[in-house]
Amino acid sequence: MSKRERARAEAAFLRGDVGVDGAAAGADDRDEAEVERDRAREQLLRGRTWLGREFLTWLLWRSESGDPLVEREGVGVVVLFTGRLVLRGIAGDVTELSARGALAPYAEQVRRALDAGLLVHGARLRLTHGEKTYEATVDAEFLDVRAAALPELLAEEEDDRTLERLYLAEQLTGMLDALLAAFLEVRAGATWTRKVVPAMKRWMAANAAG
Amino acid sequence: MPVLRGAVTFARFRTGRAGPPRADARRWLVQGLRKKAFAPLDLQLSEEDRAAGFVELERTDATEFGPDLFQGEYALFAYRIDAVRVPAAAVRRELDPWAAAFQSEKRRPPTRRERAERREAVRQALRQRVAPTTRVHDVSWRLKAGEVSVWAASRKAVDEVAAALEEALGVELHPVAPGAVAKLGGVADDALSPTPALVGVGAREVAREQA
Repeated sequence: MSKRERARAEAAFLRGDVGVDGAAAGADDRDEAEVERDRAREQLLRGRTWLGREFLTWLLWRSESGDPLVEREGVGVVVLFTGRLVLRGIAGDVTELSARGALAPYAEQVRRALDAGLLVHGARLRLTHGEKTYEATVDAEFLDVRAAALPELLAEEEDDRTLERLYLAEQLTGMLDALLAAFLEVRAGATWTRKVVPAMKRWMAANAAG
Repeated sequence: MPVLRGAVTFARFRTGRAGPPRADARRWLVQGLRKKAFAPLDLQLSEEDRAAGFVELERTDATEFGPDLFQGEYALFAYRIDAVRVPAAAVRRELDPWAAAFQSEKRRPPTRRERAERREAVRQALRQRVAPTTRVHDVSWRLKAGEVSVWAASRKAVDEVAAALEEALGVELHPVAPGAVAKLGGVADDALSPTPALVGVGAREVAREQA
């Protein structure tokens, strides 16, 4: 080994790039599928993201009937999943699945994927509250509101319009909070594992079976 | 200014126990925002390539936070980030002819150190000519309800604004994420484990992963 090569090897060792045996330190020699699975698992566990996924999956199941799911100010809130739906999971080879189409969220293919262990991670929701309709894309990790469509503003003055816009955004988040609270109540209750989850699984499987 | 018009995209937080004081919350907010107010980049005098801080909502170069700060029960302001970035390609465009001229003049290529010194000089010269990019993220805060919304799509930006608010005002901001909401609502940890039949992992696996 030349003097230069020795110096280079020593520098690599001091940087921590290689170990005493000269092999790369911390090199990731896992196969691609394993790395992917670990990443999916980390995403699921970060900040209890599973809870958000269970919430959106429960909401998909409950919303299919078209009945109001919660009440706000004495008026029922009807939820409809519309457009793009992102499913994520850690079971099996598929860690993410994206479904597009106006009726995609309730399609048989989606339920089959849910039955196979994927859960809803992101969805476009349409919330109808009385005569007002709101839309927003939400994600399971933070429930951030993206690209929301609010009902048309009625105020004409600029300041009033700002306040109305903020009020409508607040109505939208209020409905999301009410839905989350309804879910958490069911989720923390005794019926969750005994009744609700088996009913959800039956719903997924029934459609998967045709 | 997404609060006023454009895409309705925001992330929400709730203030923790150490939230705004009940008495004179407005004064408290103004003082906090001024403490971390935006100060423009001075490329001549400072080595900093980035400046960030709070500004007024509609005048993003003003940091007075006068009566306009409040509209109804909301405090409305923004967080401005100015950054100057010299593109690596622009540095290379200046550096390569210099290296060629150096070689023909001295009959040897520049050493690594000479090259690094020249690169830094070129970068400094270009830095004065590059216009800083400006990004502004709106913030709406319902003081009485303790709800803060950061109107930004990027999670990195949301986290930066939330951290700046916490630092400037000494508040704790909790994201309105399902896990955090459940915890704040007093749901026991045991009841929040993943549902194995749905998720594919159970409480024991989560505990092992998080250990």
